[in-house]
Amino acid sequence: MDALQRVVQPPGAGGYGPHASSRGGDLAVPGQFPVGLRVLVVDDDLICLRVLEQMLRRCSYNVTTCSQATVALNLLREKKGCFDIVLSDVHMPDMDGYKLLEHVGLEMDLPVIMMSGDGTTNAVMKGIRHGACDYLIKPIRPEELKNIWQHVVRKKWNGNKEIEHSGSLEDNDRQKRGSDDADGSAVNEGAEGLPKTQKKRSNPKEEDDPELDSDDPATSKKPRVVWSVELHQQFVSAVNQLGIDKAVPKRILELMNVPGLTRENVASHLQKFRLYLKRLSGVAQQQGGISSSFCGPGEPNVKLGPLGRFDIQALAASGQIPPQTLAALQSELLGRPTSNLVLPSFDQSTLLQASMQVSKCLPVEHGVAFGQPLIKCPSNVSKQYQQSILSTQDASSGFGPWQATSLSTVGNNNIVPGSSIQSNNTLMDIFQRQQHQYQHKQQLQQQQQLPQQPLPEPSRLINVQPSCLVVPQSSAGFQAAGSPASVNQSSTFNRSTVIDYSLPSYQGNAALNTGLASDKDLKTPGVLSGYSVQGSISPTLSSSLANADSSSSCQLRNPSANYNIIGQEPGAVSNFCNIQGSYDAKSGEAIDQGSLKDLGFVGKGSGNPSLFTVDEFGPPLKHIYSGKVHPENGASRIKREPSFDFVDAKVSIPVLEQLSSNDLMSVFTE
Amino acid sequence: MLGWGVEFLRAEMNRLLALLFHQGVLDEQFLQLQQLQDESSPNFVSEVITIYFHESEKLLRNLRLLLMERELSDYKKMEIHLNQMMGSSSSIGAKRVRNVCVAFRAASEQNNHAGCLRALELLEHEYCYLKNKLHELFQMEQQRALASVVRYPARHN
Repeated sequence: MDALQRVVQPPGAGGYGPHASSRGGDLAVPGQFPVGLRVLVVDDDLICLRVLEQMLRRCSYNVTTCSQATVALNLLREKKGCFDIVLSDVHMPDMDGYKLLEHVGLEMDLPVIMMSGDGTTNAVMKGIRHGACDYLIKPIRPEELKNIWQHVVRKKWNGNKEIEHSGSLEDNDRQKRGSDDADGSAVNEGAEGLPKTQKKRSNPKEEDDPELDSDDPATSKKPRVVWSVELHQQFVSAVNQLGIDKAVPKRILELMNVPGLTRENVASHLQKFRLYLKRLSGVAQQQGGISSSFCGPGEPNVKLGPLGRFDIQALAASGQIPPQTLAALQSELLGRPTSNLVLPSFDQSTLLQASMQVSKCLPVEHGVAFGQPLIKCPSNVSKQYQQSILSTQDASSGFGPWQATSLSTVGNNNIVPGSSIQSNNTLMDIFQRQQHQYQHKQQLQQQQQLPQQPLPEPSRLINVQPSCLVVPQSSAGFQAAGSPASVNQSSTFNRSTVIDYSLPSYQGNAALNTGLASDKDLKTPGVLSGYSVQGSISPTLSSSLANADSSSSCQLRNPSANYNIIGQEPGAVSNFCNIQGSYDAKSGEAIDQGSLKDLGFVGKGSGNPSLFTVDEFGPPLKHIYSGKVHPENGASRIKREPSFDFVDAKVSIPVLEQLSSNDLMSVFTE
Repeated sequence: MLGWGVEFLRAEMNRLLALLFHQGVLDEQFLQLQQLQDESSPNFVSEVITIYFHESEKLLRNLRLLLMERELSDYKKMEIHLNQMMGSSSSIGAKRVRNVCVAFRAASEQNNHAGCLRALELLEHEYCYLKNKLHELFQMEQQRALASVVRYPARHN
């Protein structure tokens, strides 16, 4: 990890680890991060070993080679903290590569890259399932090795935020070291909250061990249960049905009624689930830490100046998971580490006290994560097209715990000083409103006429609708549109009523907006714009859903602006995409493909926005509302492209900054 | 005269390499190997190839033993050997050897004894061909190195 510390504190942060091998060390230039990365290569194939050694040395890494897995494991145990990353062959005579991978993962929590000449999907899948961070197929090309440092960085970021660690000494050591370099409260928060949980968490991992071992190709072909999103949903609803305290594996299994699933599978999953819940409540108690923990990830980013890509990743990590508690839970239960940063609570009162909106938006997600059974979706869907008060109110009552609006906070923040304020709300609406305003603005700035949907609204919305926020910058056309019953409002409700999954995901967007606000505090405006973009995506979707004809023009332009901005902040986008991907995954294969494409798009940084949007939202929509939405999507796809050309990146960014600095900031931080 | 020798040998080497590429005996990975050779390890290519020959011969011997020893061959073990052979062959860019290994492995996966025997013979043949050609190449390389060493003092005079 020393090499990484240098990333965080570039110069003068001390050289390499005391045990860093001297081979190739003369090439190392202190402060140039990947240089000197300490790599352990394990391969029984001496030729590969020699070639890899040479290649890695060409990358100016510190290479240690080892031709036996057992020797490598001993080496790793003896010299803990002396390696940053391990490259291991899969087939080795003395110890299977997967076994080594498990040991390394459990004991030292180092990133492990598997290598093999066998590139079949099964083999790769197996490597990934066992926790490999990458799987390289022989012959390995130097280009692939050049980038391996990214796994070290990723692990580091995750490691700082996550509790998921095995709790070994090495781990604590790392945590401490991490807190040194990032004087980040995030790290401290993580580390202090850890000891207890860490020990607890190490147990289930141990229990996993035999299960993993049995996965050894030599012993059996017993398939390991992959807790897919659907499966987990079933599990959660079964647990909800039984009550978390009364849920026993056998009953859950009966309720789930999934062929092939064994009681043991359920038991192990239930245990993880319980631990997860416990962890959540544990963090709720140290609520105060949350806001600071959210600043945390930003701080190292600031320091990371030269490595601009990292901070986006970090923010992506931090921003991504909070909204995605569901996804986080998911991945956690699936064995993937997620950041623990995001361990907010349900406790509304505590949350309302917290000054940072970040923490406030989180509970919302939690509500979603646990309390949201699938049952809600049909009714919402049916109401979605009604666009009436009834539907919205229905929706809000349906989503009771998190949908209740909290305007009180807004009032406190001097945004709507005199207006009638209703307490007992969540932040959700604030954020939604944020999004509306934002979207509103965008619509106004990009089009003269807003086709309005004279939607009846609940009074509270009218009261709150802080059109004053928008007015200062808006055109006359906008003010006309700024009347209480605006399209934006309707989009909110649609949003909340779209589907069960869309709700969390939109809340995710709201949460991202929040992250945005805190980021702004941290003076990372670039990221901020990236996030705010996402906030505006969902209204677009919802408008395209609900306002069949009238607002089509506006909805088309919005995305165009948004995506331009996204082009500026690929990291942020990828964040969003990940989120989306995780939700998409639930809705079957077609959507899976969509999300894959999205990721591809993100990789490009900027690209065809319409492709992005359509893939992102199109498939799920089609999936759920067959027919009706489809043509709309098609239309938007067509129209969007010209507008993309029209809204140049230069144009869109000022818009955003204006927005964020004035509107959003005023809401959040005053 | 000596200078011509160096150029001639270089051209011969290139010709041989081109032939091996054309025949599919070698692939780009071999060039990769050559590119990895630098001042810090001037004999990198020959060093790696020497290890390769050594290891491959061991593996080939083992494979033959496994196939000959008894009626019921240990296909599992054979696959492990073949995987290793494949890995090392692909690392040096021995394309044809690798391809035969793939076929061999397929045969052993099907417990096809006759297929395995055929594949082994083919593998041995490919291996010998590769070894001979690479030896040729290295000999030329050595001569070229010698010639260029001889040439420099001549220039000074």
